[in-house]
Amino acid sequence: MDSLTPTQRDRGLQRLRRLTFGATAGGLIAVLGVGYAAAASYAGKSSATATAQSTTTTTDTTTSSSSSSSTSSSGLQSAPQAPTTGSSGSGTVTTGGS
Amino acid sequence: MALALKSWKALGTSVLVLTTHDDRLEPATTAVRQVLGDVDAAYSRFRADSELTYLNANPGRTIHVSPLLATAIDAALRAARITDGAVDPTIGRAIRVAGYDDDFSRLDGPHPALPQRGSDIWLRTERVPGWQAIRLDRGSRTVWLPQGVELDLGSTGKALAADLAATAAMAAAGEGGVLVGLGGDIGTAGESPSGGWRILVAEDSRVKPSGDGDVICVPAGGVATSSTTVRRWSRGGVILHHIIDPQTSLPTSGPFRTVTVVAGTCLDANIASTAAIVRGEAAIDWLTSCRLPARLVENDGTIHYIGPWPDPTSVAA
Repeated sequence: MDSLTPTQRDRGLQRLRRLTFGATAGGLIAVLGVGYAAAASYAGKSSATATAQSTTTTTDTTTSSSSSSSTSSSGLQSAPQAPTTGSSGSGTVTTGGS
Repeated sequence: MALALKSWKALGTSVLVLTTHDDRLEPATTAVRQVLGDVDAAYSRFRADSELTYLNANPGRTIHVSPLLATAIDAALRAARITDGAVDPTIGRAIRVAGYDDDFSRLDGPHPALPQRGSDIWLRTERVPGWQAIRLDRGSRTVWLPQGVELDLGSTGKALAADLAATAAMAAAGEGGVLVGLGGDIGTAGESPSGGWRILVAEDSRVKPSGDGDVICVPAGGVATSSTTVRRWSRGGVILHHIIDPQTSLPTSGPFRTVTVVAGTCLDANIASTAAIVRGEAAIDWLTSCRLPARLVENDGTIHYIGPWPDPTSVAA
């Protein structure tokens, strides 16, 4: 095998440094990413017990005064404020199947 | 504050735009039309030139897609993941085989390829491949579908469109608030009218807002209703509907015919309402754990309220 010139050796060392740095940075990003995902998952699991309840038309329902949206352990985002009872009038729109 | 309203038809359904400032209706409407045009071109299942049609026609190949279609597929995969596959975009082939193979406005009447009522028919189903089969690379915006997989983004796609349209309309309006309704899926952005957006909860989005039923006031977020009572068609005398159970590849046959959910976005409301129809009896416990206000109508008309849904007997002044 031919011996390397000083220039070739320097280039090789530089390449090795770049690879080492890339591998280190990549590993750090992966660790942070996994940590973030784990934290996000765990945060969902540790949420308070659901306060919702199943009712029929004659049963009391719970109203919430929460003012900011949140994401439940299901991953679905809740509305910033709970809906309230209203009456039809100007500007009423219909939700329904389509 | 004077509410202003504009409605028209698009994407095979009704479109409604409401603004809290009447002089902001025009720019808001223009923005909504633009978004819906983009949505139609990106993921209509019934347009021969849509991106989705091209993607479905090219399984086994890596296809580069637009940001909008990537977002819509990403939303559909998220829905599948959150619902353990109850809402699955790979039902495309199953729903087409079941007969929903054209814009619904053109599905009225018997299918020419099928026998008429009273004749023997074979009900053919296609196994739903499952959402895990889809490969979406968000970075490069590429999608790969295996052979036999066709995507249908109809459920989450319409709700996502309502959210995107509301956001775009609000940006165009510049002040106040905007509500966008797409066939009963409702997205909002900005400020709501005093007391919240008034929404009549019905089983069919074509019910007039002055009709009978529960009216709720929603300050923000989205509302969606899924129902097996609409978008039904007949094949060989068999009544079918558009909500497919990925487990059976057939239209659902659970205890709930209509589910309405209020959530942070229209998309999340739609994911919950559709999954509830598919999950059947298990939907009550699941929706309770989701802590989302929901209204479920059983096949016999019995109504269940879940979570912080307002008391229907207490009407605000």
